[in-house]
Amino acid sequence: MPSVEENPLESLENVKTHALLPFLHQQSATALSRLYTSPSSCLSIFRLLTPVERQIVMNILWLESAIPLSTMAAWVTIDGKKLYERSLETLSQLHILSQYPMKLLLNSTFKSSLRHAITGGGTTGSFGVPATKDPKHSPPTVESLDGYALERWETILHYMVSSGTGQLPTKPSTGVLYLLKESGLMSGSQNFEPQITSEGFQFLLHSPHDQLWELLLQYLHMVERRSMDLVEVISFLLMLSTMELGREYSTENLSQTQKVMLEDLRDYGLIWQRRPSSKRFSPTRLATTLTSSSEGSSLSTLAPTQATGLGNSSSNALTRSKGTGAGIGGGAAGGGAGSGNQQGFIILETNYRVYAYTDNPLQTAVLNLFVSLKYRFPNLVVGSITRESVKKALNNGISSEQIISYLLTHAHPQMRKFNPMIPVTVQDQIRLWELEKNRLKSDSGFLYTSFQSQADYEYVLNYAKELGVVLWENNAKRCFFAHEEGHGNIKSFIERRRTAGQGQ
Amino acid sequence: MMDTLCVVIDLSVKHWQRSATASDQPLSLPAFLIQLVAFLNAYSAGSSDNALAVFAAFPGKSLMLYSSTDTQPQSTTVSGPNSYPPFQLLDDAVVSSIIHHLESLSDSEQEAPCPLVGALTKALCFINRLTLDHNTNTSNAEGLDPIALPDPRVLILSVSPDITSSYIPIMNSIFSAQKLKVTIDACQLSGPDSVFLQQAAHLTGGSYLYLERRDALLQHLTMTFLPSPSVRGAIAVPTQDKVDFRAACFCHKNIVDIGFVCSVCLSIFCQPVPVCSTCRTKFPMKTLQRLNASRPPAQPRPAPIGTNGVSKANGSSYGTPA
Repeated sequence: MPSVEENPLESLENVKTHALLPFLHQQSATALSRLYTSPSSCLSIFRLLTPVERQIVMNILWLESAIPLSTMAAWVTIDGKKLYERSLETLSQLHILSQYPMKLLLNSTFKSSLRHAITGGGTTGSFGVPATKDPKHSPPTVESLDGYALERWETILHYMVSSGTGQLPTKPSTGVLYLLKESGLMSGSQNFEPQITSEGFQFLLHSPHDQLWELLLQYLHMVERRSMDLVEVISFLLMLSTMELGREYSTENLSQTQKVMLEDLRDYGLIWQRRPSSKRFSPTRLATTLTSSSEGSSLSTLAPTQATGLGNSSSNALTRSKGTGAGIGGGAAGGGAGSGNQQGFIILETNYRVYAYTDNPLQTAVLNLFVSLKYRFPNLVVGSITRESVKKALNNGISSEQIISYLLTHAHPQMRKFNPMIPVTVQDQIRLWELEKNRLKSDSGFLYTSFQSQADYEYVLNYAKELGVVLWENNAKRCFFAHEEGHGNIKSFIERRRTAGQGQ
Repeated sequence: MMDTLCVVIDLSVKHWQRSATASDQPLSLPAFLIQLVAFLNAYSAGSSDNALAVFAAFPGKSLMLYSSTDTQPQSTTVSGPNSYPPFQLLDDAVVSSIIHHLESLSDSEQEAPCPLVGALTKALCFINRLTLDHNTNTSNAEGLDPIALPDPRVLILSVSPDITSSYIPIMNSIFSAQKLKVTIDACQLSGPDSVFLQQAAHLTGGSYLYLERRDALLQHLTMTFLPSPSVRGAIAVPTQDKVDFRAACFCHKNIVDIGFVCSVCLSIFCQPVPVCSTCRTKFPMKTLQRLNASRPPAQPRPAPIGTNGVSKANGSSYGTPA
């Protein structure tokens, strides 16, 4: 029973398209067909679809022959028609539907692969070949994998956030640095330390799941330039997302491209290897939750479980918290419940004071982007949101909405009792500060002066007003300013008038 | 968006044997399980956040076979490179425990009726527990009305006919389901139409399906029961055009066409009684005589309206069990 809403389909229509899908749209039909030969890729892509698209695929998955469009359309409700047609459109762009808009039939490769994924069987080995037991070493524990992934990921973010502040945090590997520069999140040349760009600042405020995919998409773009096989890269990423956390897989069945990728993904914290030359690898939680929904996001489930294995950067697992995911019943989550702290750590008062219960240097650094920090305690950072601190953030390219949404997603459970969660005064003030920045607006144009007579002036001014290009006028001084678009017309109008005047 | 689905399977040995040997479109238990597992996998494939629990009603007992929210021990069986590990885990858990429990049944136990309602109640308890967890994990820890889970539902796959003695428990389950905003879907795989399951589906906004093409079980399951209630707003599922609203009487547990309803507590009886067995209300002798006199001996006629006894025919009202 859906709850009573104005539009019962609202929740279905507002489903965000996953970032990977537009990228796949651009790929050729043959490339996608190759991708669809792997059951794990099909399963992962299926997960990224919207609920209605998934249902359409499932409805025709077990059919052998094509069915006419009208047969399926009979099941669609009047309200759902638009949504349904949009879904068919997307599916055919992904080449999952092969004969649309004549008939409904799944791409035969996709069909047989998804069937294999659901029923098991086949010989593709696309879910990863588990490595045989290593007599010398036991496989890594889930905790140590989580610790590793978090440490890798935070190194990257921390490096970004503290660039240009004079601190020198641990540098990520050159591969990561190259990717950051390529993606425009950081700028800089050979000789200078890279600087974070305004895109980079915005990136920092996104949810961890979005951040991860943003970087991976950049990686995919880069792969094309490095002339690696794109299909193999995507299918390896999707294969990782279906692997089991805490298990070791063998590298022997991987292609050459995929072996090259191992090194890159190790830098991003997606996989773990005992030694670079090791014949086995383990995916971390970052990798196995790639195709989970963004709410039950990857790092949010990472945070509370990691307590060990992070010697240097920080320790108290309870206070580090990221993301919004409550992750109830999240298959992969497991340890999701329990600590309420997972929800968030920021308390914001109506007097603009911010209390952040965290000891995580990364979170503190991100807060520092738009909060002026005052005191620091072992598990608490106190600061306040001021005009200067917000303006600094705005100058860095961060928008007021991003600040507010960051505060919302990381609000402390205590804050969640209030409605609205963030005090209205503070929200409004942050928006006003942004508007303040937009007080000056510049337009290029021409100033028309020294008219001979008031009549001349008014005649031209009226013409310019009809064109709708007048930005400013002053009758006393007989001059007006018009947008540059209208200049050609006004100029010829004046000339026409002048010649006409001379002719008389 | 996450869904919650509880599947309740009726595993009555007697009725599965009947279904497997049916002259027209036999459906055996193994064939059913293969298609069921594909359906469960298809549901879990939708999103890794989808919560799934499987309950089974064995002769004489009901059990939970699988739940995606309980932390499983690291899988003991090593899944091969060709299958998705969570699916493997689910299939093993469901199929092997069904086989295990059915084999351990003695001959006498096999005859016992299947407490479908017991399994249904367990499923509702499970959903209630998830709702509580959901609330403590999110904002709503203290006070305030509990937030219902998004789209929880129960799917009942039944082969046995209605057990009339379980009318009251089923009705109570339906009311709890309504309160928890749980949708109950039901599928009668063989045998006669189930009156109670029809009502359960109707009253909770779910879908009831009598499986006519048993060879197309998986397709029916996918089209009717896979979409979550919110998706059903866009892609419709089969609904009942007519619902059998008959109730079972409280005295003999028979399904009645015309019943006599206590005007005080709304208990239903198949014949006029001097004292209501539920609330002990005494009815005047005169009314009883009048009701008895006007009772149709064979063909049903509109029953008269008495002062204390109100007739109940095929209507949409239902009794409130005490």
